[in-house]
Amino acid sequence: MTIDNLSRRGFLVLTGGAAAMAALTACGGSGSGDDSLRLVGVADQQKPLDELTKAYGKVKFNASYAPTDQVQTSVRTQLGAGNAPDIHVVFPGNGSAMSMAQIAKANLLADLSDQEWTKKIPDNFKPAFQSGGKTCFYSAGASVIGAIYNKKVFTDAGITAMPTTWPEFLAVCEKIKQSGKIPIALGAQTPWITQLITYALVPSTVYAKDPDFDKKMADGKASFATSGWADAFAMYLDLQKRGYFNDNPNGTTFEQQTSMVATGEAGMAIQVSAVLPDFRKAAKNADDLSMFPVPGGDTADSGWIPAGIVVGLGVSARSKKLDQAKAFIEFLGEQKNINAWAEAVACVPLVQDSSSKIDPALDSFLPFLKNDKAVPFMDQAWPNAEVQPAHFAAVQELLGGKTTIPEALKKLDDTYRKG
Amino acid sequence: MLPPWWFAVPALLVYAVVVLYPTGTGIVYAFTDWTGIGDWSFVGFDNFTKLWDDDAARGSVVNTLLLTIAIVVVQNGVGLLLALGVHTHIKSRALLRVIFFAPAVVSPVMVAFLWKYVYNPKPGEGLNGLLGAIGLGSWRQDWLGDPDLALWSVAFMVVWQFAGYSMVIFLAGLESVPDNLHEAAMIDGAGRWQRFRHVTWPLLAPAVTVNVMLSTIGGLKLFDQVYAATNGGPGYASETLSTVLYKQAFVFGNYGYSTAIALVLALFVSAISLVQVQILRGREVTAG
Repeated sequence: MTIDNLSRRGFLVLTGGAAAMAALTACGGSGSGDDSLRLVGVADQQKPLDELTKAYGKVKFNASYAPTDQVQTSVRTQLGAGNAPDIHVVFPGNGSAMSMAQIAKANLLADLSDQEWTKKIPDNFKPAFQSGGKTCFYSAGASVIGAIYNKKVFTDAGITAMPTTWPEFLAVCEKIKQSGKIPIALGAQTPWITQLITYALVPSTVYAKDPDFDKKMADGKASFATSGWADAFAMYLDLQKRGYFNDNPNGTTFEQQTSMVATGEAGMAIQVSAVLPDFRKAAKNADDLSMFPVPGGDTADSGWIPAGIVVGLGVSARSKKLDQAKAFIEFLGEQKNINAWAEAVACVPLVQDSSSKIDPALDSFLPFLKNDKAVPFMDQAWPNAEVQPAHFAAVQELLGGKTTIPEALKKLDDTYRKG
Repeated sequence: MLPPWWFAVPALLVYAVVVLYPTGTGIVYAFTDWTGIGDWSFVGFDNFTKLWDDDAARGSVVNTLLLTIAIVVVQNGVGLLLALGVHTHIKSRALLRVIFFAPAVVSPVMVAFLWKYVYNPKPGEGLNGLLGAIGLGSWRQDWLGDPDLALWSVAFMVVWQFAGYSMVIFLAGLESVPDNLHEAAMIDGAGRWQRFRHVTWPLLAPAVTVNVMLSTIGGLKLFDQVYAATNGGPGYASETLSTVLYKQAFVFGNYGYSTAIALVLALFVSAISLVQVQILRGREVTAG
């Protein structure tokens, strides 16, 4: 039966066979009929997971990684359709569509409470890991938000000591501006960047004065508008007024911000420590960069810092390979693997032992963590997934002069109340 | 002789499964509080009243309309001028047609990413760099970061991509105008503008219908370029109905509400298209 004398019957047989084969492969793809575990993570998790999945050896992995917003939409859709990966990215606490609390509410995360490592989770981080008293989320540790700075720019501007109070921080920015460089690179066109400066300041302006703020908000006894959030926004806009940001922050992206600091065009960027490896990759010399905590208080003692559990993994409750998936999480919970993951993403390990290597750039943050002056990232306590994007939009509008601080805070409160 | 009716059954089955069934269930979900995961319940018309009360959604309706009007007018205007230009006897007309049409085959998301580099606000780069180099430095802007400009920057980008597409359709229309009509008009002493107005333009009506309809529908449901270039920002300055719809479903998890928005958008587009077709078809004349 050559192509030339293909009869109608022959043609139908061919196309029918082709269609059947296509249908089979399509079905096979989602069900993973073979023995590998399907794993989907965010781009930040690729480096540690490449190492650790290789080290595990007991099972094969079918792993894929993508940027945060793509993963949030695709994995959530798969969760709804019932064909979620066996192990997938989960964000700590609450406050986003793929956060632990939201997915656990729908009973789609497997209970990991019987694993050894869960017993060592520090108390103040437990809300990020547990829903209804059950641990259903794994993370290797905590990252901090601070200033990633270029040492050369600082020494050229004549700065010899890191600022420990807000007035000192402003003085440092002024020195950098006088030396002809941009003090703070801000890439506010990329939405998640907008929140970082607020997050760096709110621990000092809100939680240092009122550690129970989250509970009061949940009970309706406090609001964004009547709290230190207004001070934080005022400080944020003050930086813009004094000319300490690059021109047009709303038109600048995360990648441009990174490049500005890495190449020495700007002195610093307020960032989460998990992206320090990205900055180092963009710099000629990785040692040019380090971090210091942004001092939001008026005295050295009154400053607090934001320290949030890094994005981690969860096991799908409907996975057909539940035991194997949970066994891998148990492996990840071993101290040496927690250390390995934490080192790969430059974060502070969840539990530390003598062999834990903490990146030297994070040294100045450790005293805050030891003295309980650290607050989880604010969105992890928000009740729905709309408050965080409302915050992004509010900052962009404030930077663009399209709204006022009271209006912006009112919008945040209204979105929070949607529950 | 027409083939038997049941020849169409396989195709209709596929259509029913892939188009009709999801549309039907979507319409049902528009009246629920479905979040994609977990339980859901019927909420009647709550989603629709919420849409009416939601500032961001109302603002996006205005943005969508402004964007559509800008695209329809400018894209078709430029397309018509380009078509008239390449319809002449200049030597490079074949090459020009290809060049003008080329952007239309690039993926809209890629176009948006490329234009983000063009719209870089730094004075020495992209469009700002070009303006500075030709002495128009005072025209430099933060194209995508200025809330007043973001939407129009996106509109410009869309026009750049699809003006060639409109050009091709107008070109087909121009080539269908019989030459003897042009010759007759010239003999009667009609100048270029008069020829265009009285001979070409009326006979171009079918091409105008197609182009206006395509660009209207495309503009009303525009998503890729807006989302990739500005994500609806800065703030809410460039949100369109489609970006609001997408965010409600895939960022916030409000699938029920988002389906309601989609239903409203679909009805809106259908209504406008129907009215347009009636008006435009009415003007069409034939050469005979």
